[in-house]
Amino acid sequence: MAASSKPGSPRPPPSSSSSMAQDLFNNFSFSKTLKLKTKQQELLIRVTVLTLIYILAFITRLFSVLRYESMIHEFDPYFNYRTTLYLTKNGFAEFWNWFDSESWYPLGRIIGGTLYPGLMLTAAALYWVLRFLRFAVHIREVCVLTAPFFASNTTLVAYFFGKEIWDSGAGIVAAALIAICPGYISRSVAGSYDNEGVAIFALLLTFYLFVKAVNTGSLAWALASAFGYFYMVSAWGGYVFIINLVPLYVLVLLVTGRYSLRLYVAYNCMYVVGMLLAMQIRFVGFQHVQSGEHMAAMGVFFLMQVFFFLDWVRHLLSDAKLFEAFLRITVTGAVSVGAIALGVGTASGYISPWTGRFYSLLDPTYAKDHIPIIASVSEHQPTAWSSFMFDFHILLILFPAGLYFCFKRLSDATIFIVMYGLTSMYFAGVMVRLILVATPAVCLISAIAVSATVKNLTRLVRSQSQAVQSGSSKGASTAKSSSKGVIDNSQPFQRNGAIFLLLGAFYLLTRYAIHCTWVTSEAYSSPSIVLAARGAHGNRVIFDDYREAYFWLRQNTPPDAKVMSWWDYGYQITAMGNRTVIVDNNTWNNTHIATVGRAMSSYEDEAYEIMRSLDVDYVLVVFGGVTGYSSDDINKFLWMVRIGGGVFPVIKEPDYLVNGEYRVDKGAAPKMLNCLMYKLSYYRFGELTTEYGKPPGFDRARGVEIGNKDIKLEYLEEAFTTQNWIVRIYKVKPPKNRW
Amino acid sequence: MARSTSKDAQDLFRALWSAYSATPTNLKIIDLYVMYAVFTALIQVVYMAMVGSFPFNSFLSGVLSCVGTAVLAVCLRIQVNKENKEFKDLAPERAFADFVLCNLVLHLVIMNFLG
Amino acid sequence: MSKKLIVLFLGLVPLLCTCFSPDTPSDRRVLVLLDDFAIKSSHSIFFNNLKSRGFDLDFKLADDPTISLQRYGQYLYDALILFSPTIERFGGSIDAAAILDFVDSGHDLIVAANGNASDLIREIATECGVDFDEDSSALVIDHSGYAVSATEGDHTLIASDDFIKSDVILGSEKIKAPVLFQGIGHSLNPSNSLVLKVLSASPSAYSANPKSKLTSPPSLTGTSMSLVSVVQARNNARILISGSLSMFSNRFFRSDVQKAGSPTKHDKSGNEQFVTELSKWVFHERGHLKAVNVKHHKVGEVDEPAIYRINDDLEYSVEIYEWSGKTWEPYVANDVQVQFYMMSPYVLKTLSTDNKGYYFTAFKVPDVYGVFQFKVEYERLGYTSLSLSKQIPVRPFRHNEYERFIPAAYPYYGAAFSMMAGFFIFTAVHLYHK
Repeated sequence: MAASSKPGSPRPPPSSSSSMAQDLFNNFSFSKTLKLKTKQQELLIRVTVLTLIYILAFITRLFSVLRYESMIHEFDPYFNYRTTLYLTKNGFAEFWNWFDSESWYPLGRIIGGTLYPGLMLTAAALYWVLRFLRFAVHIREVCVLTAPFFASNTTLVAYFFGKEIWDSGAGIVAAALIAICPGYISRSVAGSYDNEGVAIFALLLTFYLFVKAVNTGSLAWALASAFGYFYMVSAWGGYVFIINLVPLYVLVLLVTGRYSLRLYVAYNCMYVVGMLLAMQIRFVGFQHVQSGEHMAAMGVFFLMQVFFFLDWVRHLLSDAKLFEAFLRITVTGAVSVGAIALGVGTASGYISPWTGRFYSLLDPTYAKDHIPIIASVSEHQPTAWSSFMFDFHILLILFPAGLYFCFKRLSDATIFIVMYGLTSMYFAGVMVRLILVATPAVCLISAIAVSATVKNLTRLVRSQSQAVQSGSSKGASTAKSSSKGVIDNSQPFQRNGAIFLLLGAFYLLTRYAIHCTWVTSEAYSSPSIVLAARGAHGNRVIFDDYREAYFWLRQNTPPDAKVMSWWDYGYQITAMGNRTVIVDNNTWNNTHIATVGRAMSSYEDEAYEIMRSLDVDYVLVVFGGVTGYSSDDINKFLWMVRIGGGVFPVIKEPDYLVNGEYRVDKGAAPKMLNCLMYKLSYYRFGELTTEYGKPPGFDRARGVEIGNKDIKLEYLEEAFTTQNWIVRIYKVKPPKNRW
Repeated sequence: MARSTSKDAQDLFRALWSAYSATPTNLKIIDLYVMYAVFTALIQVVYMAMVGSFPFNSFLSGVLSCVGTAVLAVCLRIQVNKENKEFKDLAPERAFADFVLCNLVLHLVIMNFLG
Repeated sequence: MSKKLIVLFLGLVPLLCTCFSPDTPSDRRVLVLLDDFAIKSSHSIFFNNLKSRGFDLDFKLADDPTISLQRYGQYLYDALILFSPTIERFGGSIDAAAILDFVDSGHDLIVAANGNASDLIREIATECGVDFDEDSSALVIDHSGYAVSATEGDHTLIASDDFIKSDVILGSEKIKAPVLFQGIGHSLNPSNSLVLKVLSASPSAYSANPKSKLTSPPSLTGTSMSLVSVVQARNNARILISGSLSMFSNRFFRSDVQKAGSPTKHDKSGNEQFVTELSKWVFHERGHLKAVNVKHHKVGEVDEPAIYRINDDLEYSVEIYEWSGKTWEPYVANDVQVQFYMMSPYVLKTLSTDNKGYYFTAFKVPDVYGVFQFKVEYERLGYTSLSLSKQIPVRPFRHNEYERFIPAAYPYYGAAFSMMAGFFIFTAVHLYHK
């Protein structure tokens, strides 16, 4: 029973005795042999199931470790890893004040003030705890396993959340669903050491504690949710979702007349303390009182005070006419003051306008039209239907059903989850990576659907056999789910139908589990820094070119060498190559990125001037023409042109296109064939035969023979090309000696 | 029109006062405390408007400590008010303990944020 | 120097060590390639002059199959004199590229051409930014600036006195007499910023074949045509290119000279002085600077920090010496400037000097963070260019370096503390009341 006292919340009261779990497992004989009381049986089963789910959530994310090795994936995690390393080596004070001169040369970056430190602190804390317990772990292992660990914790939160909004059966189903949901796994496999990994946990925890606070009206829960919010703010920029969803929820409750003093206590305490705590994060700072994204929360806060005050006055004044007079005076006063304040604030620039990312949430076409640097990130693209199906599978169908159940049993908590589900689904449709935010809501709502359906069906199945039994557990449940009028109907074919439907539901859930496992192992467990492909004989071929190149940089270049590459590779170069980069994945300075984009899309001599001005020593390009790796720099090149052209009008996108078409073969635009990126990618490529039966210089990533095979470099020289030509490094020559 | 409004206001004020006098003393104490906090907050806002918002974090922490205090006190008032049926099962001792906890957190954070 | 400092003599530090070492930049071993050994005697004054200055001359025929510039990757010579204007192919392993590599690795070169100079010599000159007249039979003709002689001649023997105005290149003493020149003219490639005209043709000069009549306007005319040019490469290798080999000859050295239209007749031409001074410059006996002991530190400290903070006060110093041919002498100037540079100079200060080679200044780090460089870009005509850069990051304030207690904020402090006091009082009252 020690396992039952899980952290986070008090043990679930066994009042809701007709949970799905019990109904399901009561039928198995082994529990009867244990001769436990029903409540104890149920508790034991619940704890066992939760423990299994907890373990499952962890191990299903370990595919990548088994397939490849224990390493950090992708791009951003390398930065997180590097900062965590710094944190564990130099301590918190140094980390907090870290000025990194190795990135964004020559501007540098104040790391401490421009990151969300939650993830690093979490990993470092885990590391220190393990060290204290005499586990000799390397910090990399901790980083690799942080996301799965938090995913496991998320299942627990999902259980308690489900229990809070529906019942413990729904909680268990929600925990099971979220443990293996691909939408969540995609960001939390082992090695994906990114903010989202802990942020989803924090997000769900905040919501759960807030709902709990609303339900109980207790200051302590509100305070806890404020701390949850603080953790979320420290971990991920997605906290903006919370600070907008919660006020929206409060507003909806106000409008629908469900305002209560519990709500007042929960929201105000959470907002004030949460805001104060959030301001301690340097990166967020004063945004809570300055940026437009946070104004909704503040507006609702004031509205709440006004509402409370009016309510109180009305309570004091029994006379309706007097109250009306009072209302007239105060409302006109409040509205005018508020309007003036908002107008002055916006006009004087004190309240900053909404950022581009936020706009692109509301209007999906905004980024494409205005900010190429946002649109260029594949994560920021609108979601395709297929990826919804891929990430949610049957949950997509269960979601509306769950909404139906929620509407049938409307309460403060279900309203919250409905709003969370609907808004996050909308945002998930706008931006691919926000599927992640929607996943917990979808899982919870679907869990309600599954739990409620299964419970109704099993009740139907058992309705006749139960007549014999004492029905000790049934009394409460019938009273509770009075909305269901299915019990009176006990025709035999209905019972068979119920059995059939139950089997169908189990089949669906099984399919879901199979799908999730398949997706996890096939799609979401590749580290993307090591590439895998099927060889000619069906064997697995590993391309480890990235690390080869980064280690070459580390070993063969002077320690203060500056490497220019497109920003995608910046974090990896600094983390693994330990060399200074010009731009990296923290896209805070658009001009600097545009300068690099301009250099890449200029002729060699113009690019040379730019590179000299930035003191560039090496240029790194990623090239997939030999292996057929499609996300290489040539395919990203139009974004470089666009981003460069956005700041430097000298670069014009049509110069690189032929009749609006992007080509690299003989029909390509002359500027395209002679720009730096083309030359660096295809240098010496014309001599190489990549595929049998194709002419030399056949680009496998794009399936064409390249147009310029005779590339001469004047200002750069090839320094290193990896085994499969994926990464090519060039050295910038010093100026000519005699000219 | 103006006269009727002022007369309304006078009536209103009188009615309010008489209704308010009936509240229990412990609630009145809380109200006094809230008034004190709100008043301090207002003074700071006026001061900020005069000298400018340079040490913005100090200003924010000053004002927010007042606002936080006020809000928490109002929450406490709601919870200990016997007229509120919603909080019947919440013991006033528990409410007060929560209140003290929240205040401790609030003031600790304020201390951190002040300098 | 072992500290993390990056002194770049134009990025070619290792190459510097092989030739004019930082200790003694002057050349010692000189290879002279000749068309035939007659030149050795006909130009003996020039060669003897060099020998008397301590140079070790190695005379070889240009088509000698045994000649080579380097052995086992080490250069055998510090400088090369090409007195072989007609050679079409060098013997041994030498070709144009080898000679240019020789220069690019920091060695000096004197090239003298003549009428009908070979393509090989032209190619080398072109690579150094000097284009000889393409007409191989063309010579420089000047009908008003020629040297008066017994026979009227075709005015290809020119007395020129249009020197570059640089004491560093030509010495502090004025060239006393016009220089006799007979040979081909050249133009300077406008895209080359390093080549300098040392001896310019007069406005009335032009380049054409004196034997034939002019059919078309000559391609090189007037002062745009150069007779003798020098190049100081970015690695400070020096190159002298002359359109006339006979300019170095004993005959011209000893000859008297009278410029047409000028009443004064000089007993001795300016050639010896001109060529001697020029060779001193080319062989780094003059105008070679070095910068050492670049130091910077915070005011009041001695050690060099790894990073500065914005608004720090710092001191910067460097020592600059000039090679006198035998020893390093302090270099004295008042125009050495240091930049505190990040994409553009944030601070530009002229260094003060104690006239003993020590240059120093102090300034405040700007209120901008980033990776800065201390840059000294000192380029003066004739002197080797000094280009020092030293990278140093500048960080913003740490969180505890800001002003802690600001007087304007005292009301806020008061409010916050009064709230705390209020909380305690309220707690007491609330509990007591109950």
